[in-house]
Amino acid sequence: MKIVVCLKQVPDMESKFKIVDDKKVDESQIAFKINDFDNYAVEAALQLKEKLGGEVVIVSAGPDRAAKDIRQAYAMGADWGIHITDASVYDADGFVIANALAKAIEQIGGVDLVLTGVQSEDLQAAVTGVMVADLLGIPHCTNVVKIDTADGKAFTLNRELEGGLNEVLELAGPAMLSIQSGINEPRYPTLPGIMKAKKKQLDTKSAADLGVSASARTAFIKMFVPVSDSMAEIIQGAPAEAAAKLVDKLKNEAKVI
Amino acid sequence: MAKLLVVAEHRDGKLSVATLELCRVAKEIAPALGLEPAAAVFAKDDAIAKEVANYIPTVLSVTDAAVAAYTADGYTQAVKAVVESQDVKGVLVPHTYDGVDYAAKAAMAIGAGIVSNVNKVVAEGGKLVCTRNIYNGKLQETKSVTTDKFVISVEKGAYDPAEAGAAGSVTAVSASFGEIRTKVKEVIATSAGGVDISQAKVIVSGGRGLKDADKYKDIVIPLAQKLGGEYAGSRPVIDSGWTEASRQVGQSGKTVTPDLYLALGISGAVQHVAGMKGSKCIVAVNKDPEAPIFNIATYGIVADLFEVVPGIMANL
Repeated sequence: MKIVVCLKQVPDMESKFKIVDDKKVDESQIAFKINDFDNYAVEAALQLKEKLGGEVVIVSAGPDRAAKDIRQAYAMGADWGIHITDASVYDADGFVIANALAKAIEQIGGVDLVLTGVQSEDLQAAVTGVMVADLLGIPHCTNVVKIDTADGKAFTLNRELEGGLNEVLELAGPAMLSIQSGINEPRYPTLPGIMKAKKKQLDTKSAADLGVSASARTAFIKMFVPVSDSMAEIIQGAPAEAAAKLVDKLKNEAKVI
Repeated sequence: MAKLLVVAEHRDGKLSVATLELCRVAKEIAPALGLEPAAAVFAKDDAIAKEVANYIPTVLSVTDAAVAAYTADGYTQAVKAVVESQDVKGVLVPHTYDGVDYAAKAAMAIGAGIVSNVNKVVAEGGKLVCTRNIYNGKLQETKSVTTDKFVISVEKGAYDPAEAGAAGSVTAVSASFGEIRTKVKEVIATSAGGVDISQAKVIVSGGRGLKDADKYKDIVIPLAQKLGGEYAGSRPVIDSGWTEASRQVGQSGKTVTPDLYLALGISGAVQHVAGMKGSKCIVAVNKDPEAPIFNIATYGIVADLFEVVPGIMANL
């Protein structure tokens, strides 16, 4: 099977997000990593490759710093990849990014399956993968929590629904699946894996290389710190002291214990 | 007048609350955009359409075997048919499991821009401005759509459901369907059986901040037992197998409303908050002062939970 995983590098969500000029965050305060949901997609791809043979190709749009995390996926076992380094792509909206990813997947050719994480942790839009499927003219399934296939062509999938329900459905590849967390246990790169990753092929492409001509269909206006009208009463003091005060409040103020 | 169209969501003949929330959004913003609020219902018959008509003046009903069960292809084709034949300018979709599955595809089918997972929609000077969470809710952004038509998916629970009013009209709309490439076999319960945490008066819930299965067991379970309550967890805890799936709180797990919900090492992602925000008293312990859980908690302690929990235990 030839499997493409669309991967995004995102900030660690525990970072401090300081806004600059109402329109971006100060990256000097931020550590970057693979989007957690994409780790599950990479693992799902590697498991299919181990079962049925073939290769796993990473496609990612992002600044130069994203190369580190493409190689992280290589260290897990992915074979090679395409890095779309054009800011006119990764700074645009999901529609433009989806166009670039779809063009890259077309250039790779003969792809049996496209996997993405369910959403990116940073923007949580959950639109790009579905758009890629539409542009490639292939069926898709989102929130996939189980993949069954004997031949890499016919798939039985579990799609997660509300309240612990799963929809079981069938589709024929090539297809796009967005992978939900918990489907598997993503492997950690091994030392030999990390060594091999350094030598694996990474093609960098611009929008022109891929023939991307789409323009954005949405416009960013500004970003800001949300104001909550129901902010918690923060209990001050050293941990032991705060704990004692909390128990007192729960007993005598909230009267819930 | 062009329409602002809510696409209704239903499963097993039951209309979702998210649909009623969208009816409120549509009625609230349509006038300022010069649009007429309406809803579309895709189903095997018009029973759901008649129900939706209690919440919005105009309902367009597509009844076809192709949309008897939800599929992305079926819903996309139905949206396209209604948008093209009924003078629709904007489409509102719930940002739920089904909504996430087809909203972007429907936007592509009608050549519209999409802003997804939106928690506030307003019309400023006749133009649409959408607010949404970014960076796990630590920040928010506003976005607009640059195409003539637009699709917006709205976060579940961001708006109160519309109240029922005078019955509106239900009009049948015909649509021809092409190939449906996914075939639904069945819907199954994955956490059938197990403990029912939804009745507990006290719930102690752990998140990613518990670090590993042993620490979860050593910290969360004894505290729950001492308080006479149940222990539970957020999605990462269940994904990692630290406790069983029947104890998951959130959109994909249980919705709980105990007197006391103690959130330990839980950041407060929207999907988790959806399952516990109705709790009477919420306590959050997290070392990240900007964790969004503090925006909804009653009491908060910004500290290492491994230092705070022994202190709570000692005072009980």
